[in-house]
Amino acid sequence: MKGLCECEIIAQSEISPGVVRTLLTGPEIANEAKPGQFVNVQVARTTTDPLLRRPFSVHAVYPDQGVYSLLYVMVGRGTALLNKIQPGDYVSVVGPLGRGFDLGDSPDAEHIVIAGGCGAAPLHFLCDDLCNKWGCEKVKVLTGGRSKNAVLCEAEFRSHGVDVAVSTDDGTYGHHGVVTELLQRYLDNDAQRTTHNAQRPFRIYSCGPHAMMREVARICAEAGVHDVQLSLENNMACGIGVCTGCVQKIKGPMKNDKSGQNWHYERVCKDGPVFNAEDIIWE
Amino acid sequence: MGIASPDLSVKIGKIEMKNPVTVASGTFGFGQEMADFYDLSRLGAIVVKGTSLDPWFGNPYPRTVETPSGMLNAIGLQNDGLESFLSEKLPFLRQFDVPVIVNVVGQSVEEYAEVAAALDKAEGVAGLELNLSCPNVKKGCMIFGSTPEGIAEVIRAVRKRTGLTLITKLSPNVTDIVSIAQAAVEAGSDALSLINTLLGTAIDPWKRKFRLANITGGLSGPAVKPVALRMVWQVASAVDVPIIGMGGIMNAMDAVEFMLAGADAIAVGTGNFVNPMAAVEIVTGIEEYLKATNISDVKKIVGAVN
Ligand SMILES: Cc1cc2nc3c(=O)[nH]c(=O)nc-3n(C[C@H](O)[C@H](O)[C@H](O)COP(=O)(O)OP(=O)(O)OC[C@H]3O[C@@H](n4cnc5c(N)ncnc54)[C@H](O)[C@@H]3O)c2cc1C
Ligand SMILES: Cc1cc2nc3c(=O)[nH]c(=O)nc-3n(C[C@H](O)[C@H](O)[C@H](O)COP(=O)(O)O)c2cc1C
Ligand code: FES
Repeated sequence: MKGLCECEIIAQSEISPGVVRTLLTGPEIANEAKPGQFVNVQVARTTTDPLLRRPFSVHAVYPDQGVYSLLYVMVGRGTALLNKIQPGDYVSVVGPLGRGFDLGDSPDAEHIVIAGGCGAAPLHFLCDDLCNKWGCEKVKVLTGGRSKNAVLCEAEFRSHGVDVAVSTDDGTYGHHGVVTELLQRYLDNDAQRTTHNAQRPFRIYSCGPHAMMREVARICAEAGVHDVQLSLENNMACGIGVCTGCVQKIKGPMKNDKSGQNWHYERVCKDGPVFNAEDIIWE
Repeated sequence: MGIASPDLSVKIGKIEMKNPVTVASGTFGFGQEMADFYDLSRLGAIVVKGTSLDPWFGNPYPRTVETPSGMLNAIGLQNDGLESFLSEKLPFLRQFDVPVIVNVVGQSVEEYAEVAAALDKAEGVAGLELNLSCPNVKKGCMIFGSTPEGIAEVIRAVRKRTGLTLITKLSPNVTDIVSIAQAAVEAGSDALSLINTLLGTAIDPWKRKFRLANITGGLSGPAVKPVALRMVWQVASAVDVPIIGMGGIMNAMDAVEFMLAGADAIAVGTGNFVNPMAAVEIVTGIEEYLKATNISDVKKIVGAVN
C-alpha cells in the first residue's frame, strides 16, 4: 500500500549558506507527487529525540530516474541531523502527502508564482508543471528574500524559460523592498494596460513567510483577483491527518454545528497545505 | 522447537480481539487515513477519536509541540460530533473485520449518557471508552476523572444506558490512580485503559512565550513510558478487570513490558505518528517474542513480571 518508503540519499549540497538541496531515490514519490505536496522525513532513526518526522515540500521530481529532491533551510536540530546523513544512507519517508496546487483549466490564464525565502522549494516543481501544461510564456515568477543569499532557486526558475523578477529586503539584489511590492506593481500595470474592466484571468500561487502570504492575499483581494492559492505551514505531529494538530482557521460553518459560528478548522497536512486565499481567516 | 503460531487473542469485556494490539484514541483519527497504510483488520481493535454529542471546534493553534522524546498536544477534542460519526465514519469502519471502540467525551454527565445510548443502538460498535481524562478541555473529561466520586457518577449514568463493554480511560494527573481505578470498577466499568497524557507545558525562551496557544497540553510518547508502566502495574495489582495499557509504546518490546506489568492489551498512540506501520509491526513483534520465549499463548505473559 502507499505511504511509507525507504529513500536513499544520493547527494546533499549546500546551495546557499544554510540552505541544502537533497536528492533522494523514491520512484513512487517521483511519479506520484504533485506540486505543493510534501513528504514527512524521519531525520534520525536510532533515537527518540527528536521524535517526530519533519515535513518538507517536494522540490523537484525526475520520474524517469525515480528520484526527487528537497530544498531545506537549516533552522534547528532536525534539519541539522538531516544534513549529516551521508550519501548512500537511507531515510524513512512518508508521502507524497497533502493537497497540492490546482493548475487550472483555462488556457487564457496568466500564472504568477510568488516565492519568499525557502517558500521557493515547492514552487520550482510548480513552475515545471505550469510550463509543461500552459507554456512558459504564461508563467511569471516573483521571488524575494531578506538578502541576496536568501533569494533561492532563481537560476532554476530561469531555466524553465519563465520571466523572473527578484527583490531583496536590504536591496543587495534586484528590487529594493519586499516581493509583494513586485506583485502590487505588476497588477497595477496590468490594470492600466487593460482597457475597461476586462482584466486578464490571473492565477496566483505563493509560498513563503506568513506575513508575506497574508499580504499577497490582501493585494489580490483588493485587485479583484480570486484564484489565489497559498501553501501554509503549521506544527505537524502526524502529517497524515490523524491528530488534528496542524489546523488552520477557515471561513464557513463547521459541519453539523448548531452554535452558529461561521468558521471551522481544517488540517494543513491533509486538507492543505495549499488553501484558497479567500477561505483563510488570518490571525 | 519454538511454538509454531502462538495464540494472540485476548478479551476485553465482551470484545474479542484477535491480537492484543489496538490504537490510542486521537492518534488514529477514524481510521480512514490509516487505511492507506495497511488493512485495518490486522489490528486487535480500533479506538477512534473522542466523539461528543455536537461537533467541537477544538483549541486555537499551535496545538502541538515536540519535547524531548515526546510531544505535547492541546487539540481540545475537535470532532465532528455523533451524527457524523454514525453516518460517515462508522459505515467506513464496518468494512473491516475489527472491533470498533468509540472514545466518548462530554461536558456533562447527561451528554456522556446520551452519546452512549445512541452508540448502543448503532451497528458495528463493540465498546465504549469513556474519556474521563482529557486534560485539554475546560469542562467535563478530566474534571470528572480526577475524583473517585466524579468518575463513578459518569460511569453509573452511562451503565444504565448501554450493555456495551465499558472501558474507562484513566488520567495520570491524580494523586492516587488506584483509588480512582477501583471507583470506576465498582461503578460498573468492565475494563480500564491507561494512561491518558500527562499535563505539561513548554516555553520558547527567546520569544518568552508559551509554545502552545492553550498554554498547557498533554505529554505523550517515550518520555511518559516509565510513568505509564508504573501506573499499569499498580492498577493491575489492585483490580480484577482487563486493562489496556498505553503511554510511549513505540515497538514490540515496549508492548511486552506493558503486558508483563499487567496489561491484557496495549494501545499504540504517538508511535503511529513516528511510524505509521508501528501497530502492525508490534503485532508481528509480539508473536516473535512469544516464539522466541516458547510461550503458546499471549495471555500467559499478562502480569508475568517476576
Ligand atoms: C507542509 C510543510 C512543508 C514544508 N516545506 C519545507 C521546505 O520545503 N523547506 C524547508 O526548509 N522547510 C519546510 N517546512 C518547514 C520545516 O518543516 C521546518 O523548518 C522543520 O521542521 C524544522 O525542523 P528543525 O528540527 O530543524 O527545527 P526545530 O528545532 O524543530 O525548530 C526550529 C524552528 O523551526 C520552527 N518549526 C518547527 N517545525 C516547523 C514546521 N513544521 N513548520 C514551520 N516551522 C517549524 C520552530 O518553530 C522553530 O522556530 C515545511 C513545513 C510544512 C508544514
Ligand atoms: C494528538 C493526540 C490526541 C489525543 N486525543 C485523545 C482523545 O481524543 N481521547 C483520548 O482519550 N485520548 C487522547 N489522546 C491520548 C492518547 O490516546 C494516549 O492515551 C496518550 O497519548 C498516551 O499514549 P502514547 O504515549 O502512546 O501516545 C491523544 C493523544 C495525542 C498525542
Ligand atoms: S499533523 Fe496531524 S493532522 Fe496534520
